[in-house]
Amino acid sequence: MNYNKIIAIADKDMKMTRKTGKVWISLILLPLILGVLIPAAIVSIGRWADILALGNGRIMLLLEHLSIPDKISMPTVNHRFVYFMTQYMLVPIFMLIPVINAMMIAVNSFVGEKERRTLESLLFAPIEIKDLFIGKLLASFIPAYASTLASFLVGGIIMNVLAYPMFGSIIFPSLNWFILLFWVIPVFTISAILFSVLVSARSKGFQEAQQIAGVIVLPIVGLLVGQSTGVVLMSPLVLLVLGGALMGLNLVLLVLIAKLNQRGLLFERQIQ
Amino acid sequence: MIKVDEVSKSIGGKPVIHDVSFHIAQGEVVGLLGPNGAGKTTMIRLMNDVITPDHGMIHIDGQRATVHGNTIRQLSGVVTESAGLYPELTARENLNFFARLYGVKQPQRRIDQLLMEFELKEHEDKLIGKYSTGMKKRLAIAKALLHEPKLLFLDEPTNGLDPDGIRDMIGYLRKLNEEQGTTILICSHVLHQLEDVCSSYLFIDQGRLIEKGTLEELERKYAGKIVIHVKTGLRAGSSELSGYQVREAGEQLLEFHLQDEQAISDLLRLMLRISWVHEVQIMNRSLESIYFEVRRRCHEL
Repeated sequence: MNYNKIIAIADKDMKMTRKTGKVWISLILLPLILGVLIPAAIVSIGRWADILALGNGRIMLLLEHLSIPDKISMPTVNHRFVYFMTQYMLVPIFMLIPVINAMMIAVNSFVGEKERRTLESLLFAPIEIKDLFIGKLLASFIPAYASTLASFLVGGIIMNVLAYPMFGSIIFPSLNWFILLFWVIPVFTISAILFSVLVSARSKGFQEAQQIAGVIVLPIVGLLVGQSTGVVLMSPLVLLVLGGALMGLNLVLLVLIAKLNQRGLLFERQIQ
Repeated sequence: MIKVDEVSKSIGGKPVIHDVSFHIAQGEVVGLLGPNGAGKTTMIRLMNDVITPDHGMIHIDGQRATVHGNTIRQLSGVVTESAGLYPELTARENLNFFARLYGVKQPQRRIDQLLMEFELKEHEDKLIGKYSTGMKKRLAIAKALLHEPKLLFLDEPTNGLDPDGIRDMIGYLRKLNEEQGTTILICSHVLHQLEDVCSSYLFIDQGRLIEKGTLEELERKYAGKIVIHVKTGLRAGSSELSGYQVREAGEQLLEFHLQDEQAISDLLRLMLRISWVHEVQIMNRSLESIYFEVRRRCHEL
């Protein structure tokens, strides 16, 4: 591996991301909406709204079945609602931030080289294809993960400020969130990037690649449904297993991508 | 410097290069000529190991292309038909990026030097998306020269350049070859531009190398009789003038068919004794006329 060349590719791609409006907007808006505004709105509802009136009592039913740790005081249904939303429902919503952003950047990076006809310049350069992929993976991972961390920090502060008068203590983040942030999200972000690379290699344009790569968010929708129905509630064990499964998926994706790790093959697929 | 032996390549099941062999010595400037789709660009890709041949071997500077691709790409500079630059980045940002990929020592000094050389210094902070075609082409050549390559592959380097730009480009390539001994392979459709810079030529058609040689060698083989046009006060009374085959080619313009170049002087001496001569032009000794003759004979076979 040639680190200088990997960094040169990553640096160039991140510079291009900063200059590509649609990607840059997504990097700002998505964390702001999903990581800050929605959590703030949910905690605000929990603090000031009449929870009993929400969802024809179904939320009540769900909240009654929750296992709440003893150390957290839950005197009212509003407390239980805030706890349920911040510990379970926000998890899949939050996961959308890095996954969608990483997918957008990766698709733009790979299909963009093809559309601008710059991929040929890269293939004529003395760089290993593996280094080219790693550089592009970094360029997709770093901004997507950094924007997630930033929204985690800002969203976390706002949620705690809003919920502190109710609970009298800090409710966020829990162990779930730490496992999510430092295990599941990095692994899932890499899955999104690898999947986008594979899709980009077979797509003709940015929109086509983006639409197909969008399939990667389906597991998150599944998690969201699981949380809202109470079928699979996030626990540290569930999150550890989820991260492990995604790691397995990444290995499969890497094997598939390794087949593209030949200059001639990549050239014939992408440029001819 | 370049040794191509019996190379064949098919892409998508379609044969694009058939059994091509040629050698290019260090310091040569060679024109690779052929119509669109003849396989010129594919040859450049093969020589840089961007694609691999199905059959045959390519050695560049003693290194086998399929084994030492990165070493070859490190000593080669390539200008592709599309400039291959990032439109969202400025000229300097583009050059900075490629300088890092090619491991250029003292990149800023080299970038400054090339921006000055190609008259792009005052546009260095402009986005490439706002560059004219000619400026992009000049920058693409600057990019290819960043790492001072021993070998330069140019695919239609003068496309999009105005006449001044073309003259400057050809002059620069000649200077580069003379001063640094850079071996250059140029693909171009504009054949008259190549005569000023190329020392020999390769003719490729439908993926086959159909001819190769210096202009003199090709002239001897293909030009046959020399055809000249002479602007003169003489009139062609018959099909012969003092033993030389002649016809009227226009007003005060005679066309002669001569056996060799020596006959030109003999003919002119004779004509000047009788009348005036204002202009003499050899009609079938240009690279372009030889190119068409080579292709005509190839297609007759």
